[in-house]
Amino acid sequence: MSSPNEFERFPLSGRFLAGRARSEMSEAERVRMEALVTRTEVLEHGHRVIARGQRSDHSTMLIEGFMLRTLESENRRHAVSFHVPGDFVDLHCFALQRLDHNIDCVGPARVGYVPHEAIVEVMRDDPKLARLFWFSTLLDAALHREWIMKLEQLTAPRRIAHIFAEIWRRLEMVGMARPDGFETPLRQIDIADMCGATAIHVNRAVAELRKSGIADFRRGRVVVSDRDRLEEYGDFNPGYLYAGEPAIPDSHSPRREHGDRSLSFKRKTSES
Amino acid sequence: MTFPLTGAFLAGRLRDHLDHDDLAYIEDLIDSVEEHGDGVRLAESGVPTEKSQLLIEGFVFRTIETDKRRFIVGIHVPGDFIDLHGFALKELDHTLVSAGAVKLGLVPHERLETVMSERPDIARAMWFATLLDAAIHRKWIQTLEQLDAPRRIAHLYAELHERLDLVGRQVPRALRTPFTQLDLADMCGVSAIHANRAVGKLRELGIGEIRRGDLYTDDWDALKQYARFDPSYLYGRGALKLQDDWR
Repeated sequence: MSSPNEFERFPLSGRFLAGRARSEMSEAERVRMEALVTRTEVLEHGHRVIARGQRSDHSTMLIEGFMLRTLESENRRHAVSFHVPGDFVDLHCFALQRLDHNIDCVGPARVGYVPHEAIVEVMRDDPKLARLFWFSTLLDAALHREWIMKLEQLTAPRRIAHIFAEIWRRLEMVGMARPDGFETPLRQIDIADMCGATAIHVNRAVAELRKSGIADFRRGRVVVSDRDRLEEYGDFNPGYLYAGEPAIPDSHSPRREHGDRSLSFKRKTSES
Repeated sequence: MTFPLTGAFLAGRLRDHLDHDDLAYIEDLIDSVEEHGDGVRLAESGVPTEKSQLLIEGFVFRTIETDKRRFIVGIHVPGDFIDLHGFALKELDHTLVSAGAVKLGLVPHERLETVMSERPDIARAMWFATLLDAAIHRKWIQTLEQLDAPRRIAHLYAELHERLDLVGRQVPRALRTPFTQLDLADMCGVSAIHANRAVGKLRELGIGEIRRGDLYTDDWDALKQYARFDPSYLYGRGALKLQDDWR
């Protein structure tokens, strides 16, 4: 179980897999995980953690901050997913050798580095921890699948509502959400790159969300008065996040109950 | 073929970095072989799995179904270990459905546990294999954000052409698939009518002719250029091709 002081006990890796499979990690594995992080660094806004095609001998744990995975085409940037604290953002580089995309900081970030040699050792002598590492990299594909579906399906305001709902849930899992929403360094241009829309288009969609009382996004904060309404509007079903255990309790307020939704992978149609 | 069941696994990519002993070990993981017809659900969203399936022949769709419609979020070709990720995820967030007849090799998860404890190099190669999915998904996100419907359809066929080529199934002129027009629509996030119009546009432009899922073209390079297709995200050819020091 993730306890409130998990992050005090493991200040570098305490959010890794929180709200997911962290409870499957033994005390020894948590201690080992924490020790894998050999060096920390504070990165500036816009810093590129790793570029497409670049070789690296280490992977990066996001301790604090927010990052985007981006692809570039001739005339624009595409953001294909985002990262919150506790994400081992380029662990997949260990097996892929080079990434097909970039990872960029949005706002300042604090990161910790894990040498690939240390991951080779984990593969050699701790198959259970290795399997959890593998698991954590597969979440990317699950998130991408949901985004493919949403891009195929939703209009810009609904797509943005879905993105807000996802950020909120993921921050909540690692104990960094607020009871009425979340703080974010995202700008409208980042959201445009996440939706394949123009900045003007997003500006209009954000105004629409505010006007209809679904979400108020301004000055680095998203405030939501009715979460169910936001999630319904964005057609958000959290199964794809693989939340399998209680999140780290929110430091701001008592934890909100989700009922069965966050514990079930099943979608509406497969519940019967 | 020396390895009749797993000979296409990671072909054109990491396979070149595995030795004969590794390849024999992988072939030996297949516990049994199954054949299925069209439209069979091979793995179900939310249902725990105890085996993973390697596609030996045929095509498989990854689908997400909502109460409103079906979405196709990925396609699989021979050599793909279609639910290897089920081993680490324990249950899938989506469904796998055969598109036409398929032949599958089954690997019980206990065997994969043994791989993890005995053969970390092979485990890492398998890890690599599951990461290709995410790379392909990222490209699909980009094409959905960037390309119009005719180009999306051209991109799908360009990707299939390249992936089949990587696993040694060169496509000279006609790329044969069992896909319906509705399948194409569900892959591109458009209506069947819209997909039909996009197929018409590809024909008018002389890019390719799609008849009952089969695409005919005289010029794959022109089609790939039209679709803005860059194969590097498949880790076979181009900028991301694995280098010799992979181990």
